[in-house]
Amino acid sequence: MTHRILIIDDEDDIRQVAAMSLETVAGWDVLLASSGKQGIERASTEQPDAILLDVMMPEMDGPTTLLKLKANGSTSHIPVLLLTAKVQGPDQRKFAEMGVAATLFKPFDPLTLARQISAALGWKEGG
Amino acid sequence: MTPKDRISPDENGHSAAGTSSGQAADAQSQEQKLQTMISALWDRSRHTVVERAALLRTAGDLLLDNRLDQATQLHAVDSAHKLAGVLGTFGLPRGTDLAREAEVLFGQSTPPGKVEIERLQDLLAELTSLIDRGPLGSG
Repeated sequence: MTHRILIIDDEDDIRQVAAMSLETVAGWDVLLASSGKQGIERASTEQPDAILLDVMMPEMDGPTTLLKLKANGSTSHIPVLLLTAKVQGPDQRKFAEMGVAATLFKPFDPLTLARQISAALGWKEGG
Repeated sequence: MTPKDRISPDENGHSAAGTSSGQAADAQSQEQKLQTMISALWDRSRHTVVERAALLRTAGDLLLDNRLDQATQLHAVDSAHKLAGVLGTFGLPRGTDLAREAEVLFGQSTPPGKVEIERLQDLLAELTSLIDRGPLGSG
């Protein structure tokens, strides 16, 4: 089964390398958004199977975007995985309380990113 | 570290337990294709990485002269954070470690002491050198 993943990240190189990874290794379809606002719009209209959401973004950061996704009836059911370069425990606890499916860390390994997402979401496949 | 380095083949040379030789060959082909794509992306992204490292060096020099303003300090923390997040993915895990250390040193609420400033100068020099060399196998 091919999954559709929406990647929301303001950094162009991260979006591209994650997309390459998920498309090439797992054969998934990837949707891209460069801001929280754009990501919410794409999530609502395109209904991806999961969202990979960067934490630190200008204007609307990841946690704010997450809260908006969870408050919106058309996107609240979509699992969200946060992608962060921070490794502090308090942040992780806060994210878990906000309803994230999992927190993944930058830098990620392009060869195993799909596997990490699959494992976090209980999907059987994943490259 | 390149993506190839991250795969630990088993004693039979397979990258995943229980795969047939055809599946192993497919996986190797995928890996090579991905590595080629990431190398090309590194070449396209390199200027952004170099600019961020240059900003860190400028901020480090200003800190050394006790002239680092708050706006430049915040830019330095942001640039270091972004470098920490991306360098390892491009096969430069040491770059991620150095950038993380720089993020902490630039992000301190109290001005760093002489030893910390010297450490910052050293790690920024190493970071610049790493980025100049680039990941193994890149153009």
